[in-house]
Amino acid sequence: MEKPKAESWKRTPQTLKPRGAARGAMKTLPAFCVVLLVLWSVSEAKFDDFEDEEDIVEYDDNDFAEFEDVTEDPAPESPQRVVTTEDDEDEATVELEGQSENQEGDFEDADAPEGDTENEPYDDEEFEGYEDKPDTTSSKNKDPITIVDVPAHLQNSWESYYLEILMVTGLLAYIMNYIIGKNKNSRLAQAWFNTHRELLESNFTLVGDDGTNKEATSTGKLNQENEHIYNLWCSGRVCCEGMLIQLRFLKRQDLLNVLARMMRPVSDQVQIKVTMNDEDMDTYVFAVGTRKALVRLQKEMQDLSEFCSDKPKSGAKYGLPDSLAILSEMGEVTEGMMDAKMVHFLTHYADKIESVHFSDQFSGPKIMQEEGQPLKLPETKRTLLFTFNVPGLGNTYPKDMEALLPLMNMVIYSIDKARKFRLNREGKQKADKNRARVEENFLKLTHVQRQEAAQSRREEKKRAEKERIMNEEDPEKQRRLEEAALRREQKKLEKKQMKMKQIKVKAM
Amino acid sequence: MSTNSMSDPRRPNKVLRYKPPPSESNPALDDPTPDYMNLLGMIFSMCGLMLKLKWCAWVAVYCSFISFANSRSSEDTKQMMSSFITHNP
Repeated sequence: MEKPKAESWKRTPQTLKPRGAARGAMKTLPAFCVVLLVLWSVSEAKFDDFEDEEDIVEYDDNDFAEFEDVTEDPAPESPQRVVTTEDDEDEATVELEGQSENQEGDFEDADAPEGDTENEPYDDEEFEGYEDKPDTTSSKNKDPITIVDVPAHLQNSWESYYLEILMVTGLLAYIMNYIIGKNKNSRLAQAWFNTHRELLESNFTLVGDDGTNKEATSTGKLNQENEHIYNLWCSGRVCCEGMLIQLRFLKRQDLLNVLARMMRPVSDQVQIKVTMNDEDMDTYVFAVGTRKALVRLQKEMQDLSEFCSDKPKSGAKYGLPDSLAILSEMGEVTEGMMDAKMVHFLTHYADKIESVHFSDQFSGPKIMQEEGQPLKLPETKRTLLFTFNVPGLGNTYPKDMEALLPLMNMVIYSIDKARKFRLNREGKQKADKNRARVEENFLKLTHVQRQEAAQSRREEKKRAEKERIMNEEDPEKQRRLEEAALRREQKKLEKKQMKMKQIKVKAM
Repeated sequence: MSTNSMSDPRRPNKVLRYKPPPSESNPALDDPTPDYMNLLGMIFSMCGLMLKLKWCAWVAVYCSFISFANSRSSEDTKQMMSSFITHNP
């Protein structure tokens, strides 16, 4: 063995590879056979376990199935077999052969006496080797056979799937509720629109627009934003730019919401937002509604918090029910707004009115910014906002929508009234003062920030200038630009000095 | 005629097209339910998958259903279906 090995070392490394591979193959082959044998012996061991039970006759591939009565001899030998096969295939095969030979020997012995005494039915000698058998059987009887219950997850009955059935039932209930809720909301929206269609079409040219069509033609139907929110845009009327109606229904399509509403009843709401033309509305801020709603609005809305600093006042002075309160910029506005017809509307439909908000400084809810105040005042628009509650407190039916029609009349009336109502001279002065005050406050708050912004802008400019100068290739031009920049800076300094002098003089 | 302006307040020449409100932060403030439910659904489905907990998977299914029912705007049906299918093992 050494010579060929030495020779192989002398040869080039490339030739070593195939040799090494061959050696590796040689090593893996016996290992593979060992694995196969282990598997086979394990399966055999399994069958030996079953040999104690009666339904093993089925296992035909077990050579020893026929001889299941002879349990003692093969049983202890099988673990030996498992151990020995791990060594080497040759030894294992020898062992097996030996065993099979032994077995055959037993049977030959058994056969021999049978062959001698065929005439007699039973020979005593036959039972020599089988004396153990009655004992083993009796010992078996002493050990009770325990019938183990097949665990639930192996059974094939309905009980093992109770969780799945429960969950699927829940899901089906949710889907059913989704479909029912969606349909109900859709029916309610349609009923509302059918009731109000005539009134709207007589007042607006464009009823229903989703903004996608090329031409401004009425779609004549609601714009479904959600399963519970429907929009309608109306436009083309004297004194207002347009009116956006939003039907905010309850989330009937969500089962969780339905269950939550059983604890705390809420109403469907109709929100109307009328955008007025600038020339058609004077400058005032005014709100009427339930006390709770007004308190919330005062906190949330930018304009109400700035212009209407007082708490909501009772409207009893004007004949309003106790449930309603008033928030106003000045008394004159309240006087002007609360005319007979308006009071009539508010009194009769007080239960359906959540809030009515007229404002020329409307900019939506307060924006909470992390950096602090925004640098610019938010854009304002003259708007009239109405929030109505649909009667029924959740249990609404399509016919309830008819009760909201008078409220739409109120909206139309309000639009015309807002156009007609003008503040007198005093009122106007007060209003202008208020607006100036608010703006000043805002500017003060943002002063620091604006200064910083201005500073950074100036620095940017300087940097840009310097870069331009540097980029100029012509040295002459460079010099000239530098001189110009220097001159500009000198001028600025002079101006500042002049200003300081002037302030000093004024102070004196 | 004076009666004209009284009888017909409509002005066809003053029609303004509908402009959907700009997508500000308001939608997120209004109702965070679908987003929370979406997130919960994803978390539970991952838990159910990794830890092999059946109840986690069922909760994830429920969460995705609730998120779908509460979805804010009319999103693409395809997007919803794809998100629903991927989140449910």
